[in-house]
Amino acid sequence: MTVTWRLGLFAISLAVLVPALWHVAMALPAFGAPTEMYGAAVNAIIPAARHITNMVAAVNFDVRGFDTLGEECILVAAVTGTCVLLRGARGEDLTAEAGHLPDRPHVERSDAVVLVCRIGATVLLLFGVYMALHGTATPGGGFQGGVIAASSLMLIYLGEGYSPWRHVMHSWFLGALEGGGAFIFVAAAAIPLMLGYAVLQNILPYGQPKDLFAGGLMVVANFAVGLSVAGSFGQLMLEFMEETRSPEDDPIPDEED
Amino acid sequence: MSLLIAAALCLVAVSGFLVVRSRDPNRQVFALAANGLVLSVLFFVLQAPDVGLSELAVNTVLTPLMFLVTLAAAAMNEARR
Repeated sequence: MTVTWRLGLFAISLAVLVPALWHVAMALPAFGAPTEMYGAAVNAIIPAARHITNMVAAVNFDVRGFDTLGEECILVAAVTGTCVLLRGARGEDLTAEAGHLPDRPHVERSDAVVLVCRIGATVLLLFGVYMALHGTATPGGGFQGGVIAASSLMLIYLGEGYSPWRHVMHSWFLGALEGGGAFIFVAAAAIPLMLGYAVLQNILPYGQPKDLFAGGLMVVANFAVGLSVAGSFGQLMLEFMEETRSPEDDPIPDEED
Repeated sequence: MSLLIAAALCLVAVSGFLVVRSRDPNRQVFALAANGLVLSVLFFVLQAPDVGLSELAVNTVLTPLMFLVTLAAAAMNEARR
């Protein structure tokens, strides 16, 4: 296909698509116009009915809590599949050195980087736990808190280097976080069912609005998701990082060694 | 407020264009991370902090990291041959 042909095709599709796009764009509601009845209904009903202030958490863990349970299972299944796929060919051995490109020099980390990473990782981990716990009161929640906690693990890698990082990242621990969080969430859904209520129906007291533990079962489910997401993403990073390490039986030619 | 939204939208357009324009995969990963950062700012400005936080954590930290690690693994495989 020559350039002239491509330009011709481009002109034809432009001539068709631009009027269509213009037509659709003009028919859209005005920018920021509140048209969603669902959102208005949630805002009107939930604060009094569930005693919490973050409507997104209320929708995710109460109104359509069963969907979130399914999403959680999808995440666990996806991470498990990645582990099976990557680890199957590689095993779980520990090595002292990460793999590295032969022409890339080894640069020592400066003390400033190590210090900033140590402080940052601590603060970030605490912030992740805070966010997972306060999901019903302020923006954020289990997923966001879990991902933030998992990214603090990467700051440890950035500050300490591969070998110390690899020795604190235990796959069994991350797996236990992942599976344990998912188990708590499933239990939070199943226990009301066994007591004769609906799935994830709130059987705990709602508490005071704007309080840390307002929301009853939603706080439990939120924190369970936080644990599971932190474990899942930690596990995923570990598996990806392990793909770069140099296996003993197949060493990379390296001039420095 | 609408000025902030317009500024954020312009930044999203510029950073998205730069992601497409950068040809070196390593640079593109960082452009993608910057695009995620700008997008999360846009979500905050549009009063969707929950989405903004997810965007920030996933698209500026985790996705670029996985791309970087994958690129490094590919480069090491190349060097091994």
